[in-house]
Amino acid sequence: MRDLPTGPVLLDLARDVLLNDLLPLLPPDAHIDARLVANSMAIAEREAIAGERPAQQLRRELESFYADAALTHPAPRAGSTLSRIAAEGYPDLPRRLAHDLRAGNFESSEVLERGARDILWQLTIGKLRRANPRFLAANGFG
Amino acid sequence: MAGTASPRSDLPPGGGSSVDDRRAALARFLASAGGAPAVEITSLSPMRGGAIQENWSIDACFSGGSLAGDQQLVLRTAAPTGVTESLGRLEEFAVLKAVFAAGVTVPEPLFASDDPAIFGKPFFVMQRVNGTAAAHRITRDNALAAVFPTVAERLGRELARIHKIRPPRPDLAFLPRYEDVGPCQQIAAFRAYLDSHPMPRPVLEWGIRWLETHLPPPIQPVLCHHDFRTGNYMLDGADLTGILDWEFAGWGDPHEDIGWFCCKGWRFARLDREAGGIADRSPLYTGYESEAGRSIDPERVFFWEVLASVRWAVIALQQSDRYMIRGERNLDLALTGRRATECELEILMLLDPHGAPTDA
Repeated sequence: MRDLPTGPVLLDLARDVLLNDLLPLLPPDAHIDARLVANSMAIAEREAIAGERPAQQLRRELESFYADAALTHPAPRAGSTLSRIAAEGYPDLPRRLAHDLRAGNFESSEVLERGARDILWQLTIGKLRRANPRFLAANGFG
Repeated sequence: MAGTASPRSDLPPGGGSSVDDRRAALARFLASAGGAPAVEITSLSPMRGGAIQENWSIDACFSGGSLAGDQQLVLRTAAPTGVTESLGRLEEFAVLKAVFAAGVTVPEPLFASDDPAIFGKPFFVMQRVNGTAAAHRITRDNALAAVFPTVAERLGRELARIHKIRPPRPDLAFLPRYEDVGPCQQIAAFRAYLDSHPMPRPVLEWGIRWLETHLPPPIQPVLCHHDFRTGNYMLDGADLTGILDWEFAGWGDPHEDIGWFCCKGWRFARLDREAGGIADRSPLYTGYESEAGRSIDPERVFFWEVLASVRWAVIALQQSDRYMIRGERNLDLALTGRRATECELEILMLLDPHGAPTDA
């Protein structure tokens, strides 16, 4: 249980004070840095609001995808991070997806390839909703 | 030592520790290099920008010699931390001399030195050119919209002029062979970096796999700028006054520079203008083809544009590493890592003909 106002609400207010009260008082050379601070606060606010939901949703989608896929995985290059993960039984599904995409493991199945690409889109659009919604909108993803 | 006019200061090693010491040592160096009895430096100040290199603005008065009178110069040296792929300053100076001699619009290179007694580290000095390189400001400037196609056409010509420089070149013998820096080697380097990165990047892996399976046929290499983009040329109104930042120059596929220039990561405020945020591709290509005397291959440009998005994503992550791993306290660098996901969206948009699923 947390006190009010919540962290995201405080971040929103602090950002407003920074941009509207403090920035006009700063020398022009410092405006860029102030805007970078404001941008960082906006990202932190959106990520705090989203919480663990995006990671949990991605995990569910990957679990479902791999449950359907029943793939065999060739051994990754010895000594690489991926090979260590492989030795540990692929506990990290996003890393497993990365490995499979590198190895081209879905290329023989149009269904799997399509499924993997759908996950990539969801992952990317989800990240940008929190990190840079303006860029997302400028690319036609409102 | 790349420079021919690079006399050493007679200051003892370890000199130049204060701004006044630096100024005095630099004045003596400039006088010696410029054949002047004396040089007075009236202003020496760091310039903003340059995440990898440090640029210093110099106003100086030469009492004689080849630069007699008032001169506005730039001294370029390495920032405290940089990226390993960039050339050393004396090598960059040699590239700048080569392209200047080839008629490319660049600040005239003047002198270079690797004597640490002068500025603490290797540097070179060039003429300062007027204008702005601020990419967001340029791409937002509605007053320039009418002349942007002309600027793009000019940039195409300039790029073709750069690409007329081909190996072998004894003065550029330090550049790695194309066989060692071509697309296969770049792909291997991307993967090696991702293997060392703490977070998996499945979209980059997918994009890199596409590159690996769509390699273009071999081509005669040319000198590439390797960071030819809006933000790295100076515009004084509608006038192109200089192409900057040659630290990544090397042998490559000429389409590599075109793909980099056009990739979405370098369009800034105008994503719809595919040539660097200032115009559509047509004037850029027209200028290039008329100067080069050969056609641009759109399929090769597409390959290099995909690679550009991967490369920009990896650079963005590496910039963020400078804070995350090396502890360089710089918010701009830290935030740059977030731009990798923007590149990943572009990779998906370029390579997935079906587009995003409706529930994304």
